[in-house]
Amino acid sequence: MQGTRRAMLLGAATLAAAPWVRAQGAPPFRFALTPVFLDNDAAVISALRSALAAGMGQDIELVQRRTYQEISGALLDGSVDAAWTCGYPYLQHRSEFRLLGVPVWRGRPLYQSYLIVGADDPATALPDLRGTTHAFSDPDSNSGYLVTASNLAQSGETPDQFFSRVIFTYGHRNVVRAVAGGLTRSGSVDGYVWEALNAAEPDLTARTKVISRSEWLGFPPFVARSDRIGDPAVSACGAALLALSATAEGRAALRVLYLDGVAAPDDALFDGIAARMAALEGG
Amino acid sequence: MTSLPRFRDLPVTLRVPLITAGLMILLGLLASQSVLATLGRVQDARLSEAARLHLEGLSVALGPSVLRQDVWEVYDILDRARSAYDGRRLLLSVVADERGRILAATDPRRAPVGEDVATFEADAVLPPEIRMTGDPVLRVSAPLLYQGREIGRIVTELDVTDLLAERRSVAMWLLFGNTAATALLAFGGWLAVARILRPVGTLVQAMDDSRGAPRPIPDVDIPRGDPGLARLIQTYNRMTTAVESRAEAERRLAERERFVSLGRLSSSLAHEVNNPLGGLLNAADTLRTYADRPEVVRQSAELMQRGLAHLREVTRAILEQHRLDRAGQPLRPEDFEDLRLLFEPEAASRGQVLDWELNAGASVLARLPAAPVRQVVLNLLLNAAAAAGQNGRVGLDVANGQDRLSVTISDDGPGLGQADLGRLLGAGPLPPGGGVGLRLVRDLVTGLGGAIQHERLETRTLIRIEFPLRGSADA
Repeated sequence: MQGTRRAMLLGAATLAAAPWVRAQGAPPFRFALTPVFLDNDAAVISALRSALAAGMGQDIELVQRRTYQEISGALLDGSVDAAWTCGYPYLQHRSEFRLLGVPVWRGRPLYQSYLIVGADDPATALPDLRGTTHAFSDPDSNSGYLVTASNLAQSGETPDQFFSRVIFTYGHRNVVRAVAGGLTRSGSVDGYVWEALNAAEPDLTARTKVISRSEWLGFPPFVARSDRIGDPAVSACGAALLALSATAEGRAALRVLYLDGVAAPDDALFDGIAARMAALEGG
Repeated sequence: MTSLPRFRDLPVTLRVPLITAGLMILLGLLASQSVLATLGRVQDARLSEAARLHLEGLSVALGPSVLRQDVWEVYDILDRARSAYDGRRLLLSVVADERGRILAATDPRRAPVGEDVATFEADAVLPPEIRMTGDPVLRVSAPLLYQGREIGRIVTELDVTDLLAERRSVAMWLLFGNTAATALLAFGGWLAVARILRPVGTLVQAMDDSRGAPRPIPDVDIPRGDPGLARLIQTYNRMTTAVESRAEAERRLAERERFVSLGRLSSSLAHEVNNPLGGLLNAADTLRTYADRPEVVRQSAELMQRGLAHLREVTRAILEQHRLDRAGQPLRPEDFEDLRLLFEPEAASRGQVLDWELNAGASVLARLPAAPVRQVVLNLLLNAAAAAGQNGRVGLDVANGQDRLSVTISDDGPGLGQADLGRLLGAGPLPPGGGVGLRLVRDLVTGLGGAIQHERLETRTLIRIEFPLRGSADA
């Protein structure tokens, strides 16, 4: 079943690539962004595009998609050349995708998943939230779904059973908004995004509080399709990403992203996520 | 009840501006009411339109999400719509699915997901029916239509505090504005009316200040631009001349009355002079005949001296009576002796009995002027003598009280007629025919601040004059 879907996606990618081949005089490099970070921040997008374009010496088209599933689909069908996605979808498509680099945050290419509640909520841990409403970011997000779902799976429960209502907001910032606004009592959010929001929009995060943090897990990586990893453009993209901290534009982009740099690919960083995937499937 | 007569008593120059001000206030109230009603309608229309646009806009945006029952999408749209819209106006928006279960609200804590929307729809109205009720929070509710099908409901709470404040502010401005405008116009009206009515004021003042002798208004003060008022003032001026003429005539009559009173005494006084003259002539004959008899000469000389002394007294009394211009001369007991001297022959000629009682000291009498009192008493005595008739009885009683001198003249005549009483006691116009003696009495008494009382006791008529004593009470 999986093989059939892959073949179909590859076919679609070939079809989609046909017009691109004809227009290869100056094809822009298409880079997909995910709701991992502050997806509504035009300054971030602009800085990242400038930095990548400068590093690659090529036009960059930043493509935004609502869900990780759409990003993965776009990578697979070739409608985008590279993407910044999450460790969970990367591992879901480990055979098709290859790491280009892993962002370094606070000195390490790692981050945590936070369980947050309203600022005045008495809950102190996940078990206190039984029977309440919960906001996830994306069903394919590690920090915004997998961590909490795998924690519940360890006690043999699913989110739908444990919570009275579960909603997907398709954005870590949206999870914080949902909890801060009282739409749900708790939420699973990317720790890096919550910390970045805490610096950029302290009024928003002040209405929430973190009651539990996961272990350190592999930071959402930059990936490309395995079969295109040798493409000069893709290679250039990987090199540009790794060299971001070496250029002025790159440092500017990293500054607005609250990142330190991009580390070389290392699959071992995502072992923790793989373990949680196994726990979820096992649960 | 007393305010109306008081208002009527106000001068016309005040009443007209007051009425103008009253009408302005009434007009201001009506205008304010109209403005507020219009403002209310405009606000209602504005509110209704805003609510309609808000709900319709949300309806369009929310349709697919509500159909999918996507809680986050619905919340996200509501939340972004609230911050994009006039955030102060929209307090709460609640979206429910077709079963009436809340999908999301701008404030999920107030309207939790899954609750029944009915509690929020309790007093909600459709957008076209929304009206300002004075409540700072109003609720509107509308069905959520998507592709022609009702898929849910939207309830919105609107904060109309600002509109209420605007209404209050307009009402306050109207109040202050109208008050200021009314005050200004009333003041202007007062100025205009006062200017228009100035000639009337002059006329009233001329009449008030005249103290019974109306003063004509100078030609320069006659408003030529107002023919009606000019005619009125000219008529008034003609009237004042007529009144002056009449007052002059009355003065002359009163002047003449003094001679009249003496004239009325003339025959008795003639007797009074004539009688001693006979005796004196006899004495002169006796002297001539018995010039060599010293005792007869002495007796005749004494007789002549007494007769001449009497004549001198009578002449002096007549002169005194005539000299009414003795301004400032105080009243003395001798003045009553003079009056008796003048009047006694008149009474005697009619065989009348004269009761003469003078019970007031000189110091009391001195606190009254002589001339008017003498004139008053003489006139009344003459009237009393005329009324008492042959062999009648006439009385004079002068007595002093604490602070007044009381002079009572009595007679046993038939009493005073209505016309005479009118002259003596009333201030009205003099009836034609009849003398002015009694009116002169009244005028003199009034001039001295005194009072006249008339009394009829069986067969006697009593006229009592009370003269207030001037100066400190040292009597």
